[in-house]
Order: sequence, then C-alpha cells, then structure tokens
Amino acid sequence: MASMGLIFTSLAAVGPFVPEWGQMRPFVGELVLMGTIVGVLLSAFWGRRSNAVAGVVSLAGLMLAVVGLLLVRPTEGGEQFRGMLVSDHFAVLWKILLLVFTAGVVLMWFSTTRVSMHEGDGPEFFTLLLGACLGMCLMGSTSNLLMIFMAVEMASLPSYVLAGFRKTDRVGSEAALKYVLFGAATSAVMVYGLSMLYGLYGTLQIGELARRVDLGGGVPLAVAMVGILAGVGFKISAVPFHFWCPDVFEGAGVDVAAFLSVASKGAGLTLLLRILMTIGHGLGYAGSEVLTSLAVTVGVMGAITCTVGNTGAYVQMNMKRLLAYSSIAHAGYMLCILSLVVRGGSDANGVMANSAAQALLLYLAVYLFMNLGAFTVAGLVQRETGGERLEDYTGLGRRSPLLAVCMGAFMFSLVGLPPFAGFGAKVYVMWKLGANGSWWWALVAVIGVNTVFSLYYYLRVVRVMFMVESEKPEMVVSPLGGGLALVCAVMLLVMLVAFEPVLNLTGRYAKLHLPRSVPTGQVVAGGL
Amino acid sequence: MGFLNHWLLTILIFLPTSGAVLVVAAQGRAAVRWTALVTTLVTFLASLLLLVGFDWNQGGGAYGSTMQMMTSVPWIPAFHINYQVGVDGLSLPLVLLSTFICLLACIASWNIEKMTKGYMALFLFLETGILGVFLSLDFFLFYVFFELSLLPMYFLIGIWGGPRKEYAAIKFFLYTLVGSIGLLIVLIGMFLFSRNVPGLEGGTFDLLKLSDPAVQKAMGGVMGSGVIKTFFLLAMLGFLIKVPAVPFHTWLPDAHVEAPTPISMILAAILLKMGGYGIFRIAYPLFPGMAKELWWLFATIGVVSIIYGALCAMAQTDFKRLVAYSSVSHMGFVVLGAAMMTEAAVNGALFMMVAHGVTSAALFFIVGVVYERAHHREIGRFGGLATTMPVYTGYSTVMFFANLGLPGLCGFIGEVMVLLGSFAAARNGSILMNYGVGRGLVIGFAVVACFGVILTAGYMLWTMQRVFLGPEKSEYKDFPEVDAREQTVLIPLVAMAVLLGVLPYGMFFVFTNTTVAGLFKLFG
Repeated sequence: MASMGLIFTSLAAVGPFVPEWGQMRPFVGELVLMGTIVGVLLSAFWGRRSNAVAGVVSLAGLMLAVVGLLLVRPTEGGEQFRGMLVSDHFAVLWKILLLVFTAGVVLMWFSTTRVSMHEGDGPEFFTLLLGACLGMCLMGSTSNLLMIFMAVEMASLPSYVLAGFRKTDRVGSEAALKYVLFGAATSAVMVYGLSMLYGLYGTLQIGELARRVDLGGGVPLAVAMVGILAGVGFKISAVPFHFWCPDVFEGAGVDVAAFLSVASKGAGLTLLLRILMTIGHGLGYAGSEVLTSLAVTVGVMGAITCTVGNTGAYVQMNMKRLLAYSSIAHAGYMLCILSLVVRGGSDANGVMANSAAQALLLYLAVYLFMNLGAFTVAGLVQRETGGERLEDYTGLGRRSPLLAVCMGAFMFSLVGLPPFAGFGAKVYVMWKLGANGSWWWALVAVIGVNTVFSLYYYLRVVRVMFMVESEKPEMVVSPLGGGLALVCAVMLLVMLVAFEPVLNLTGRYAKLHLPRSVPTGQVVAGGL
Repeated sequence: MGFLNHWLLTILIFLPTSGAVLVVAAQGRAAVRWTALVTTLVTFLASLLLLVGFDWNQGGGAYGSTMQMMTSVPWIPAFHINYQVGVDGLSLPLVLLSTFICLLACIASWNIEKMTKGYMALFLFLETGILGVFLSLDFFLFYVFFELSLLPMYFLIGIWGGPRKEYAAIKFFLYTLVGSIGLLIVLIGMFLFSRNVPGLEGGTFDLLKLSDPAVQKAMGGVMGSGVIKTFFLLAMLGFLIKVPAVPFHTWLPDAHVEAPTPISMILAAILLKMGGYGIFRIAYPLFPGMAKELWWLFATIGVVSIIYGALCAMAQTDFKRLVAYSSVSHMGFVVLGAAMMTEAAVNGALFMMVAHGVTSAALFFIVGVVYERAHHREIGRFGGLATTMPVYTGYSTVMFFANLGLPGLCGFIGEVMVLLGSFAAARNGSILMNYGVGRGLVIGFAVVACFGVILTAGYMLWTMQRVFLGPEKSEYKDFPEVDAREQTVLIPLVAMAVLLGVLPYGMFFVFTNTTVAGLFKLFG
C-alpha cells in the first residue's frame, strides 16, 4: 500500500504530461516531418494519388524541416519529455545532415525511379521514406532504453517495406524478406539485452545506469552489451551483421539503397556514439574496464568491418552490390572513430570524446555527398540502359562525359584521394586515432592498408567507364539527375578546399548533452 | 617585384590549372592544342622569371635560410596547415626542368587524336601537381600535390596508352599509393609528435621547422628511436617506389612501355624526380640521424639499382623497355649519391636528376619518333636507320652519348660527381667516416657502382649499333626524316644536354651549392 501511495504522490507531483514549446523547439525537425507525412497522405486525395505531388510535398516538408532546424539555436541542451529524448547540438547537426540527404534522395527519385514507379504508389513510398527518416532522427537524440528500441524499430519497419517496394521484382522481394528476418532476429537480441540492463540496474536511462555499473554486472552485463551491439550493428551493417546489406541494395530500388547506405548507417552510428559516450560520462571515464572493453570491441569490429567490406567488393560485378560493400567498408572506418570515446579525460565535457563526435559528423557530412552522388549516377545509368552491372558502364566517358567524370570523382573520393573531401575526412579520422596513441595506431595502419585494398575495385569502375570501348549509344541524362551528380561532385571539391569551415561547423556542433545524474525515483525511471 | 616575389610561385602552380579550364572550354581540336601549348609556354616563361627574382648568393646560412620567395597563407588553421610554398637551390632546377619538359611534351603531344580535349586538360592538371610537389614547404600540402599528380597520370596511361594500358595504369597507381600511404602515416605522426615541442604547441606541418635540429631533438625525446626508424623507413619506401629503386621498380617498365610518348617523357623526366626530391627535401632533413645509421641500406639499393637496371636494359628487346630500365639504372646513382652523404655526391645526385630528365625525355621521344614510323619497337628488327634518317640519327647519337656519360655532355657530370663523392666518403672527415663506417665498405660500393658506367656504355652502344648502323633495310627505306615539329622538341633537348655538360657550374651548381651546404649542416 505504501508503495502504491508513493507512486500516486509522485505522479501527482509531476502532473499530467503537457509539453511546452521550449521543450518542443529542438524537435522542430521531427514535428515538421510528422506534418509532412500527414501532408503526403492527404495529397493522395487531392492530387489523385499523383507520385509527383507526393514527391514535391515531401521535398517541401524536408526543406522546411531543415530551415526549422537551422533557425533553432541549439542551447546547451538537455533531457526533454521526462528523459525520453535528449536535445543537443550533436543531434541537431545529425538531423540537418539526415534531412538534407533525404531531400537529396527525393531529388534522386525524381530523376531516376520516378519513371518506373507505378502511378499511385508515390504517397505510400514517401510516407514510408519519411517515417523511416523520423525514426532515424529519433535514434540520434535518445539515451533511454525504451526510446532506443522504439526509434530503431521505427526506422527499421518502413525500411523493410521500402526494400521490397518493387512488388513484382523477385530479387527485391527476396532481399526484403532477408532484411526482415535478419532485422527481426537482431531486434530480438537487442531487446533481450536492453531488458537485461533494466533488470540489472532498474533504470531505463543509460546515464543513470552507467553510474550503477559499479554495482557489478558480470556476464549479464556483457550479454546486454552484445545485444545492443547486435541491434545497432545491424543498422550499421557492421560485421558480422552485414549479410543483408549487399542483397538488399541489389534488390531494392537505387533510391532506397542510397537512403539505407547513409541514413541507416549514420543513425546507427550516432546512436552508438551517444550510448558509448553516455556510459563513459556516467562512469567518469576514469580507467573504466567496461568502457575500455567496449571501445576495444568497437574498434576491432570497425577494423574487421572495413577489411571485410573492402575485400568483399573485389568480386562484385553489380554496381549496387559494389557500393554496398563500399558502404560496409566506410561503416567500418566510422566504427573506428567510435573507439575514441574511451578517452574522455577528466574534463566534464569529455574533450577527446567530443572530437569523436566531430570526426563522425565530419565523416558523415562528406560520406553523404559521395554516396548520394554515386547512387544517383547508378540510378541514371540504370534508367537509361536498364542495367546495373559494371559492363553497363562501359564507355560512359564517351557516352556521358558529365556522369563519368562525376562518378570518377565519387570513386576517388571514396578511396580517399585528394582533391576530394573524402581525403580530408579519412586523414582527419586517422589523425584523431593516431592522436590517441597506443593501440589506436594499429587502427590507423588498418585504415591505411584498407585504402590500398579499396583502390583496386573503385578503379575498376573508373577503368570500365574510361578505358573500355563500347558501341553503346550516347546517353541522354535528365538535367535534374546530372545537376544533382554535379552538385555532389563540386561539394566534394569545395569541402576539401574549404576544409576549415567544415571543421569549424562540425566542431561547433560536436557537443553532446550527457546527463551526469538523474534523480533516482523519477517517474520514467522507476515507474515504467 | 614585391608582388612577383610573393606570388610568382603560386601563379606558377596554378597557371596550368587555369589553362586546363580554358582547354575544357575551347572548341575544336586545334583550339585545344594551341591553348595547351600557350599555357605550357607561358608557364615556362614565368618559371624563367624565377631566375630574375632568385637571390643567387642565397645568404649561405643554415638549411631553410636559403629558401626564397616564400608565401605562407593559412589553409586549415585548426591544424596549422598552411599553403606554404618557396624555392631554393634544391627545387629551382627541378621546377625549371618541369616547365621545360612539359612545354616540349606538349609539342610532342600534337599528334594525339583521341579525345584531345581530355588529354590536354589532364596533362595540364598533371603539371600543376608536379610544380606543387617541387614548391610545397608544408608536409600536408606536399602530400596533397604528391597524390594529385597520380590521378591524371593514371588516366593518361590508362586511356591513351598501348595494348596493356589498363594493367600498366593500375600497377602504377597501386605501387605509388602503397608508398603514399606510408608517407601519410609519417605525416600524421610527425604532426602529432611535434605538438610536444615547446614553441610548436598545436603541432606543425612546416617542413622547415620539422628539419630544425632543435625541434628534432625535442621530438626525438618523445618518439624514441624505434618510432623514428619506422617513420624514416616508411617515408623512404614512399620515395624509393617513386624513384623507382630495385626492388620496387617493376611498375616502371610497364608504365613506360604502355604510356604514350609525351607521357613517358614526363614520367621519366619529372615524375621519377619527385622521389629523389622527396628524399632530399623530406626523408633526409627530417631524419638526418637515421639517414646516417641506415646509409648501407640505401647505398646497397642504389648500387643494386645501377647494376641490375643496366643488366636488365642490356637484355631488353623492346627499345622503350630498354630506355625504361636505363632510367632505373640512372636513378640508382641518385639514391647512391644520397646515401654517401658528401657534398659532391649529393650535388652530383641533384645534377643527375636534371641531366637524366633531359636525356630520358629525349630518348623516349626518339623511341616515339621511330615507333610512329615503324609501328614496332623491336630493336632486333631495326637497322641502318642512319642512312634513311641522318638528321634523326644525329640527334639520337648526341642523346645516346649524353645518356652513357660521354664527357662534355650532361650525363657525364652527374655520374662522375656521384662516383667522386662516393670515394670522397671514404676520406677522413667525411660524415660517414666520422660516424664510424668501415672505409673498405664505402670504397666497395663506389667501385661496384663504377661498373655501372661501363655497363651503360655497353647497352647504349650496342643499341646504337643495332638500330642506326648496319646496312639499310628495305622496309624502312621510305621513312620520312624528322619533321619540323619533331626537331622543335629535339633541338632544345640536345642544346640542354650540351650546355649542362659544358657549363655545369653556371647552369646548375651555382644554384645547388649553397643549399646543399646548408643541408649538410643538418647532418652535422
């Protein structure tokens, strides 16, 4: 009875949940996205289920969301909605990048898949795309176990449907099925791990939970961490949870593949970064064994992931599969960044850890343009020639010089060669890893060796485009698609020449709100 | 003058790029060619302005104080990366060589019919990369240009090359990238360790600061000898692949055989020199202690390159492959000269780079001329060309003798200086003797290297005999003599070969002497 009374009084003290505008403001992106989803659904009534109208509404909504986020001056940040969500600079920049990228995907849809999509399917497609996008936004701004699971599922479920969106395509359906089964299995493992954490420490807040790790965890804690790594690793396509990636990319439409290659991986990485940093912060960074073993695990996972990705790409003859392995490799590089969180230093803000956040944001900002561009070219070639195998790219240098030159730029940037921003991002990562000394130098060497590995298969694309003659006719490229590819290529050039502003921007936003202490017994923590 | 002193180098680096933009905009094949030619010509003339602004006395102080026309603009201030360029006696001859050879190679490219616009644009981008490498004084900037020169080269070999062009292009790219990645790790490491130096908080990429003995002493304490040795070896690996020295040389014959003539000229005359230049600008000044400790390794590599390259050249049946192996052999002298660490040897090595630049460009062009007429390069099938093409044979003879080191021509000075310098290293008071190296070992290396001269004479004369001498062959009877365009390429090269051979001091050592003396102050 006493406990019932306690719950009652605490509920009464907190009162019914009525969010204030101040709380909502940092989440303007999500709010606009929700409005856009409704708008897309309504557009189906007014626009006679027109695909183009749905596309325009989505694009407008995404733009509006970006503008809204740009206008929001992120404050020091804090926990909102009783700790369910966190608002901070890091989340804001992640959402801006994600929304800009999704807008790019919509533009890409206009220039590539639009012609082949059945009229009337558009509203569903964009609802799913924006829904997944919303889930990925939330993945970037939570450190609550329950919310983590909801956000991951919210991002995953629409993705499954998107992967199988070409209903008549057998490869696509098979890929979607594989994706669902794989996703369901890893989700189950993850939720098992999350429940174990709750069972061990009695809280859903990772920050609070980390402070109780001292109470001991042993095997259950390790199992829980493996569960989280499995769930997030699936989204990142980290080895050994990467098997879905090439099949899904091959089976899904080129726009969906592009979306998954950046958005899904980025969301997983931002989530994992926040989890690791929150744990690190809660533990005070000081020589914590839990944190060190987590960082080593993530680093080793990253090293294996990029090696597997790069070696797997060698034998690929399908452009989308090749780009899938390439994206696995890049996910590996980004996982290596996350191993940096272990060195927080005594600084309350965790200086070194923040530079991990900066490196991740920087890498994502560059990676976004490389992949958007490469997939756009792939989509345009597919639209014109109907093929996505490497031989469909033969003689592209003559058939469409613009696309071929842009694709060349994306390939060289993906290798990490100047004068493209991929070089800057990769050097920055190696640099930060090296700055940590000791075993991180091994990661630097692994990334270096992988760069050489990767050169060969990226150059294979370049070789086919420029050095193999073909009788195929010249290609007509839609101005929108060609323009999008060109913008991406130019952005890569500009971002290296103007590397300083990019560094400054990502540096300014590389601040995470890490809750040091949540009063125990709060409703969310204890009541749920 | 003040403006020029400040910005001439920058103008020089980016002139070809702006020319490339014009080339892309130009309409029609003729317009493209003329735009490219004017660009390379203007770049060459602008590089001659360096001689006007250059202070020939150079102060004569420590290494770094001889640096002139420096410009330093912050590029990425967060990491103390500057756009920093400058020229001294080490780089000036190579810059002049680059603009000179690029101009001639552009004339040699006149008969490129396939995708002329793309070719010329890439060609000019390549020139920017090359000049950037020779003029950068910031490690990061150097690396960017070093890599930047890879991309156009890959395409120029891979698109406009011979039958096995793709294999050759990717082999070239992969080999060089392996070296570059090692260099990248050194670059990051040096920056990170330089943060521990008082006065350099935040780290530096400034090559002059990193070559400062005081800075090195402070860094050495933190790095430990194992790390220093690893870094030195990684940096040397990067440069030796580029040079290329045996056993990292196998990309070179393939690249040369497949590359079109003008690209072979640039590859041999300039790109290889980036490796040699890197040794003298980065590897040795940054790690002088290690250079002394590991001298035997590089002396061995140098001598093996000389002998093995010459023997391989002798065994070739393909004219172009022969010249390529001859490059390996000649560049071996550069590595040997560096390893011996005497002023004469280092000056000789630097001279060798320029002399080889002139002779190899000429030889590749000579091969190109005959290949265009005969459509094959098999030495055994040639013969009696002297009767059909006497003028051509005349130019070729001069360049063959320049390459084998006949006194009075450029090849001689380089070889002799390196060999004399190598013997001088066995004299009391030389750096190696002071370091406690066995005298017999040094003399042994020098003696073995001398045999390289004989072998060179052997394969050059034998080739001369098989290609030009002998009875006239009916299949080559109606070959046209070299035309005006071909003469325009050959005459300046022949003139340079003679001038460098007759006036080595006024043409060359007047620039390098002081800088090399400064460099030796680092070796102590």
